[in-house]
Amino acid sequence: MAGSALRRLMAEYKQLTLNPPEGIIAGPINEENFFEWEALITGPEGTCFEGGVFPAKLIFPPDYPLSPPKMQFTCEMFHPNIYSDGRVCISILHAPGDDPMGYESSAERWSPVQSVEKILLSVVSMLAEPNDESGANVDAAKMWRENREEFNNIAEKIVRRTLGIPT
Amino acid sequence: MGDERETPPGSINEDEPQVNQDELILAQQRQIEKELGDLEPVSSLNNEYSTDPIYLEKVKDLSTKYKYVRRTRPDGNCFFRAFSYANIERLLEKKDEFNQFYKLAEESKDVLVELGFQQFTVEDFYDTYMEVLKRLRNIDDIDEARKELHTLFNEQGFSDYMVVYLRLLTSGQLQKEHEFFSCFIEGDRTVADFCHQEVEPMYKESDHIHIIAACAALNTGVRVIYMDRGTGRTCNEHDLPEGCTPTVHLLYRPGHYDILYP
Repeated sequence: MAGSALRRLMAEYKQLTLNPPEGIIAGPINEENFFEWEALITGPEGTCFEGGVFPAKLIFPPDYPLSPPKMQFTCEMFHPNIYSDGRVCISILHAPGDDPMGYESSAERWSPVQSVEKILLSVVSMLAEPNDESGANVDAAKMWRENREEFNNIAEKIVRRTLGIPT
Repeated sequence: MGDERETPPGSINEDEPQVNQDELILAQQRQIEKELGDLEPVSSLNNEYSTDPIYLEKVKDLSTKYKYVRRTRPDGNCFFRAFSYANIERLLEKKDEFNQFYKLAEESKDVLVELGFQQFTVEDFYDTYMEVLKRLRNIDDIDEARKELHTLFNEQGFSDYMVVYLRLLTSGQLQKEHEFFSCFIEGDRTVADFCHQEVEPMYKESDHIHIIAACAALNTGVRVIYMDRGTGRTCNEHDLPEGCTPTVHLLYRPGHYDILYP
């Protein structure tokens, strides 16, 4: 059903272009291939990631939206819910029952009526409020809990790097 | 029910060596490549239980009430796939009812959007659903229409989208009647949370509450025949909603639904 997936991805792209959520840009890297997108996410205001512009890649499966895409930041990141290779680990990217991190049962899950926009908005909330219970990056989770000042310093450096400002 | 975590009360005798239902289901999954199989005589169920007197007795009871069974792929979507198929199948013989159903289906997308579903997330599933109904409506010969239904439901693209759309209609029904349904939801989840986690995602199995809402959404009733290792020689039956005249008959074995034909 790659045809249905393509139709849906085109509809979502159109929706995101006509009605972009604040601080988020997303679309296919190359319009020849709608199954690989790039997104730029602005660090939420009032958080240690404020001002940063973080690039990420989204890879969609052929049966999208029955199954969710995968998302990976392509810049350096240091965050409890992001693996060291940039992969994002939040509940909306997983169907119920698929529990790599033992998500709470109340957490938002993937279903065919979710969307790229909802994922990206969840990622923005994740940047603002890390979930230190599900440690994709254990060091970051520990530092977030125990040494917030150090965490904020690292975040600030990452923000400067995404903007090309010397750190 | 319809969920590996729950079993109807009193259905499994803990002292009995349990038939490994998981293995049976896996075997069935490998066996049927199809989403929905062909009609088979009810007695074909005996093959699965040749060493199990309790089940054999129950198959015997079942065969006094039903002639055929149609197996569905046990992938967690079985209730939705079976119910959607069996309901459309019986409507093929009733032009007027089919047309009423068609009209209800046509209006259903707007109802979902009014309930807060984003149009572009619902559209493709709705379009596929209507395309299937349209194709069937255009076939005059009932046997031809049955064949087409069977073909479409065995093309994964159509079949899965039919499943999703019935999941969305079920979710819509639950949310429309959230005050009523909230009493049946355990924990402190809202009806909307329940729908997002237990109804809308693919492969999530169905419980009573899904069935009742799906029946209301399609404006019909279903009889579920429970076949398990519980005591007694007969299978229990249950009409949902209670007191309805069932139009669709389903066989429930722990964790799985198939279609039955009188």
